[in-house]
Amino acid sequence: MSRVSFNCTMQEGQIGEELRAKLAVALQQITEDVLGESPDDVPVTFSNIPSGFGFRGGEPSTTSLVRGSIVGGVTQEVREDLMRRICDRWMEISGCTVDELVVSARDV
Amino acid sequence: MPYYRCVVPKDSVPYEQRAAVAKAFTDIHCGNTGAPRSFVHVVFDEADDRWDTPYFLDGGNRAGRSEEVKAELLSDLMSAFREITGVASDDFSGRITEGPAKWTMEGGMVLPEPGEETEEWYSHGQAAAGG
Repeated sequence: MSRVSFNCTMQEGQIGEELRAKLAVALQQITEDVLGESPDDVPVTFSNIPSGFGFRGGEPSTTSLVRGSIVGGVTQEVREDLMRRICDRWMEISGCTVDELVVSARDV
Repeated sequence: MPYYRCVVPKDSVPYEQRAAVAKAFTDIHCGNTGAPRSFVHVVFDEADDRWDTPYFLDGGNRAGRSEEVKAELLSDLMSAFREITGVASDDFSGRITEGPAKWTMEGGMVLPEPGEETEEWYSHGQAAAGG
């Protein structure tokens, strides 16, 4: 079982298929840099929320969610470093704003 | 980030009802907790999840609120869903699970614990909502 994994949920049409590979590589690279995990051991999955099925603040949503799971957990300092790097890189690659991204890193 | 996932049968809830539920959930959550509207996420999922009822509310919130607030929140959300969609009580169930706020970053900020929200956080939430 991998120690770290990510599930990314995006609103349909917000982030093109061609960017997903780049985003997955970025998540794996950041995880290696912060936690020392081999990129090959960091599974990344993507799923779409169909148009008209996702809302934020009562309005149609353009927000992506990156959910990380860390077996054994990490300190809060490390978690925040991980989440901030993911946030910065995701915005850089996807072109989304800081308000269009939610990142979590939960201990399991 | 309150995240309310409504598991529904395929083609059972039209867009107008989904939008109405999302607005009602946002109103209810913010009314009960004081959270900024922009932090409330509502998603409809026509998944094949196997729950005890055909319709299911799977909510996720920050931990730290009183049992009274949590119970009232779930009750109000479920009532609104039933009123808007016409789904019978026997066909709908739900839960709200909780996790530490500090495990999530939204709007570039680590979420505060309930009751520890700062003016900066509220201001950012209002700006994100465009108001």
